[in-house]
Amino acid sequence: MARSLTTYLDDLRDSRVWRSIFRSGPGQSNLHRALVVQSNVFLHLFSVKARKRVLDFSVTWYLGALTFGAFLILVITGVLLMLYYHPSVPLAYSDMKDLEFVVSSGVFLRNLHRWSAHAMVLLVFAHLAKVFYRGAYRPPREFNWVIGVVLLLLTLFLSYTGYLLPWDQLAFWAVTVGSNIASAVPLLGHHIRFLMLGGNLVNANALLRFYVLHCMILPLAAILFIAIHFWRIRKDGGLYAGAPTTTAEKEAER
Amino acid sequence: MSLGEQIRSLRRKLFGDPARAFGSISLVLLGMLAIAPAKNYFSEWGHYQKGYLKLIRSRADALTLARHFSPGFQQIWLPEMDVVDRCTTCHVALKEPSLSDVSRQPYRPHSPIPHSLTQFGCVVCHRGQGRATTVQEAHNSTKAWEHPMLPSRYLESSCGQCHLGPLLGTPQLNLGRQLIAGYGCVRCHTVMQPDGTRMMASDDPPSLQHIAEKTTRQWIYAWIKNPQAYAASVTMPNFQLSDHDARDISAFLMAQSTPLAAIHNQPAAKGASASPDATAGASLYGESFCASCHAVQNAAGVLVGGDLGPELTRIGSKVKPEWLEAWLRNPSVYDPNTKMPHYRFDPKQIATLAGYLEAKTDSDLLANVHLSEATPDQIQHGKLLVMEDGCTSCHEVNGIKKPENFAPDLSRVGSRSLAVLAFPEGVPHTLPDYIEAKVRNPRAFGPGLKMPQYTFSEQQRSAITTALLSLTDRAQTQPPALRTAAVHESNYQPAGKAGRLMADLRCFSCHAINGRGGDMAPDLSWEGSSVQRPWLVEFLRNPETLRPALIRRMPRFNLTPDEINTLTDYIMIVYQTPAVDRDSLPASSFTPDMVEKGRQLFYSKYACQSCHIVDPNKDKGYIGPALWAVGSRLNAAWVYAYLKNPPAMRPGTLEPDQHLSDAEARSLTAFLMAQKSAKQAGKK
Amino acid sequence: MSDDKDFVAGFDSNARKAPVRVAFVTRRTSPQVKVADEDQVMTHPGVFLRVAVAVELLTIALVTLALAWDAPLEGLADPMHTPNPAKAPWYFLGLQELLHYFPPVLAGVLIPTLVVLALIVIPYFNINIQAESLWARDGAKRLRIVVVVAVALSVFLAFFDVWVALVPTVIIAVVMFLAARSSSQSASAMRRWLYSKPLSFWIMTWFLAEAAVLTAVGTFFRGPGWSWVWPWRS
Repeated sequence: MARSLTTYLDDLRDSRVWRSIFRSGPGQSNLHRALVVQSNVFLHLFSVKARKRVLDFSVTWYLGALTFGAFLILVITGVLLMLYYHPSVPLAYSDMKDLEFVVSSGVFLRNLHRWSAHAMVLLVFAHLAKVFYRGAYRPPREFNWVIGVVLLLLTLFLSYTGYLLPWDQLAFWAVTVGSNIASAVPLLGHHIRFLMLGGNLVNANALLRFYVLHCMILPLAAILFIAIHFWRIRKDGGLYAGAPTTTAEKEAER
Repeated sequence: MSLGEQIRSLRRKLFGDPARAFGSISLVLLGMLAIAPAKNYFSEWGHYQKGYLKLIRSRADALTLARHFSPGFQQIWLPEMDVVDRCTTCHVALKEPSLSDVSRQPYRPHSPIPHSLTQFGCVVCHRGQGRATTVQEAHNSTKAWEHPMLPSRYLESSCGQCHLGPLLGTPQLNLGRQLIAGYGCVRCHTVMQPDGTRMMASDDPPSLQHIAEKTTRQWIYAWIKNPQAYAASVTMPNFQLSDHDARDISAFLMAQSTPLAAIHNQPAAKGASASPDATAGASLYGESFCASCHAVQNAAGVLVGGDLGPELTRIGSKVKPEWLEAWLRNPSVYDPNTKMPHYRFDPKQIATLAGYLEAKTDSDLLANVHLSEATPDQIQHGKLLVMEDGCTSCHEVNGIKKPENFAPDLSRVGSRSLAVLAFPEGVPHTLPDYIEAKVRNPRAFGPGLKMPQYTFSEQQRSAITTALLSLTDRAQTQPPALRTAAVHESNYQPAGKAGRLMADLRCFSCHAINGRGGDMAPDLSWEGSSVQRPWLVEFLRNPETLRPALIRRMPRFNLTPDEINTLTDYIMIVYQTPAVDRDSLPASSFTPDMVEKGRQLFYSKYACQSCHIVDPNKDKGYIGPALWAVGSRLNAAWVYAYLKNPPAMRPGTLEPDQHLSDAEARSLTAFLMAQKSAKQAGKK
Repeated sequence: MSDDKDFVAGFDSNARKAPVRVAFVTRRTSPQVKVADEDQVMTHPGVFLRVAVAVELLTIALVTLALAWDAPLEGLADPMHTPNPAKAPWYFLGLQELLHYFPPVLAGVLIPTLVVLALIVIPYFNINIQAESLWARDGAKRLRIVVVVAVALSVFLAFFDVWVALVPTVIIAVVMFLAARSSSQSASAMRRWLYSKPLSFWIMTWFLAEAAVLTAVGTFFRGPGWSWVWPWRS
């Protein structure tokens, strides 16, 4: 049975339509496997081979992958939530109620989005600490570390802008407190807050601004930097597996 | 194969290599993702709807009920009122009177109300969270919803959000509003009503600018320590003053009082007051109908008399004799705004009545009050206390202004957020409980609080809470078209000599005319259309009650014939209704046949004798006015018009509208106009 | 090894006969392998499958969480009613906690800016890259500097009443002292490990500990008016 299933799958992979989409076609050879990676616009960001050592859990704790996983969950649930949300006062809050009481699985969607957001922030911090303690920021990977810091900031801003969207007391005052911190910047503080909120107070303008930031600008920026982050892994010599062991690496580290 | 080996082999099969692990975990993940949609299927509301279908299956009108039922979410959406009520998702049978025997919720039908259920939704009256579709969230208070369902005993408050005036069906709300006005709550607390007017107090706290003329420092001390010890019925609350504070306040009040020369200028009736005749005093008190407004505790401890004026049980311990005499001579000299009429007593009567009242003392009241001479420090401290305690919110005091916004604004107290309230120990965390506890014992909410202690009954507290709960955000913000305005008192003021006379006699304390005045006595706006002049003259000279069942009566003011003429002329000419032409039914238009026909209608067809008395020997009706002399009292045209449509002529009357034909009304009028006196009725 | 070259560099001029050559092996030997590159796997499916499994496990965990706990939702935003305390999202609570102690310019602007800059420049400093033990050279002198810095920092924190931040500072200072007293020959593996750590390790650990403690305090131990409360007593 399993055998025949594999055969069917191979037949499918060998079909004209499949091959027009995925150039690699069926096959188990290393060439084929390399082609799968190389001929895919998303996967080609990665190198076709990786050191065996990096597969060990203790090396990375898979924290980067998990962070990306949380991001994927957030994108999917976020897009679904956008279908039920109006970024206006007080509709935003009644949309929360509708999500809770009449949208099928609405509570689940919101919960998953919320908890995944917290998880992503936590994972990003953990990723940063792990990378630091393993020394994976060392040349030639120093610029990828900087991109990582940018991604950390983007994650925080994404979470912070999303915090306002339910327009409940929790959201309103958390953002008020946050924006007051921004206004402490010398000279420019109030201008920064004005720019941030689209006004002097947290109101409907701020909600709209945060909505656009949360759903358009920041996710696009995050996707861009994630792509660069992944691509740089390949360009900087693959996943860092520990102390350099090859000549090439030793040369690079010198 | 052993169990351990089996498990190992299974593990190898499922997680042996990354591909297998990926496959197995993907299946687990898919299963997990299916849980949330599955939960929708087992929703609470779905359970109740299924229960309803089961309930109606066995009933006779199952088909009709099933046709009315529609599955899925139900919603009443009223955007202009911000109502999204999904209550009917579970409460499916609200509009099914045939299920009136079902007592199980959520299937009970709604009791009949004057509004359509879809006109206002549910939460406008019941509160709770209309958007919610779970029992817990819809009915109770949660982090995201502070206003749980209103307990049914406060439900009348919801009517008060739109109906700003009293309603027949909301006695508790009406009482609460009366108490808030009558106990002067709104003198300290601002209450802006939804129609933009400020709620006004209806009590009458006396000015203290001349208090030393009226009473003694000892009495003031005893009074402010515990007003209820003087008279249980007083509205002044207990400020729970310490002995020192009461001493200083009394010292200050005496010190700030200015003399009032007019009181001393009148010559007292020499010698008459020397030996007051208790019997004569009691009968004068009775004849003057003082009890219509003032109450006195009888031997059994029961209050007898009206509540328009202060209780007089211990009046002798309170007032100074010379003040009392001056007051009885003309009350408006001391208090220009008093409701008490100016009786035209002669000096002897004054002495008799004053003597009778001065004898009403209570030796215990001031027995323990020993005050030494007030020091300037005490007076100064007393002034400070009077300012701090807000005494001038109610009373006028020389040198201290009425404070503005002395107490919190209550215009939206019915929607107050629980987050801003500090609950004392033992008070449940709901708004009604908070308000009730505050009214019961305000000082329990903190040591520095100024609100005094009132002595309300349980029922009064609930009524006040109900009235306060009606002051909601919704009431303030809803479309004005939904409001049913309260009737505001007009500022009608009769002019000229008669007007001055009516002001002196304080007619408006009891009678209403043209939208102004009290409700103790009949409305006189159309009195000129309804009565005959000779009767009115006689009535003003010597009033007698028209209704056998009434205790309260119009007092005799000892008017001069001149004054009576002035008043009568004015009433007969001015207080007319355009609906009645006084001369349209002259006596000549009635035939004996009509009188006889009218008698039959009176006694047989309409059985009027069950409420009215025409023949004092025979009839037993004590509810309506006696009619044995109605022929010499009322105008025929008025009687006819009244019989045709009683509520139109006297709004709120108990007289039923019998929808008489013109001929019947005419005959009845003829019969009634033939009743000239009790004797005449007896002879026939 | 002999000094004779195993091969000679050069190339044949006749490109048509022979392709470009980099080296001619002149003797009957093969190139000697000095360092073997380590084992490699194909990214597909070796890495991808494992990553997919990891992501799926995370998703299962989050889905379970989402089914079990509802996300918080409070009443409609009301600018008139300030909740007490008004708290920022949890990851900013460390910052908010700092604001409680320091003037806003310092806590709200200077510190976060410095933290971000410090994070960015980490890989550009050789001291971070060499990862040499802090005590490898001039151990005694460096210990003195560390003690001075730790005392100065503690006094500074105590001056601003930042007792909660003082705790991790003191703990880490003590551990550093222990590390300085160790050597690469210490009996316990733990002490050898501590000894080997470079300066950047200590700074980062101190920073992470402070961030964690301040965030935890801001999240769990702060009540009305930002006063101290015990989370289990409420």
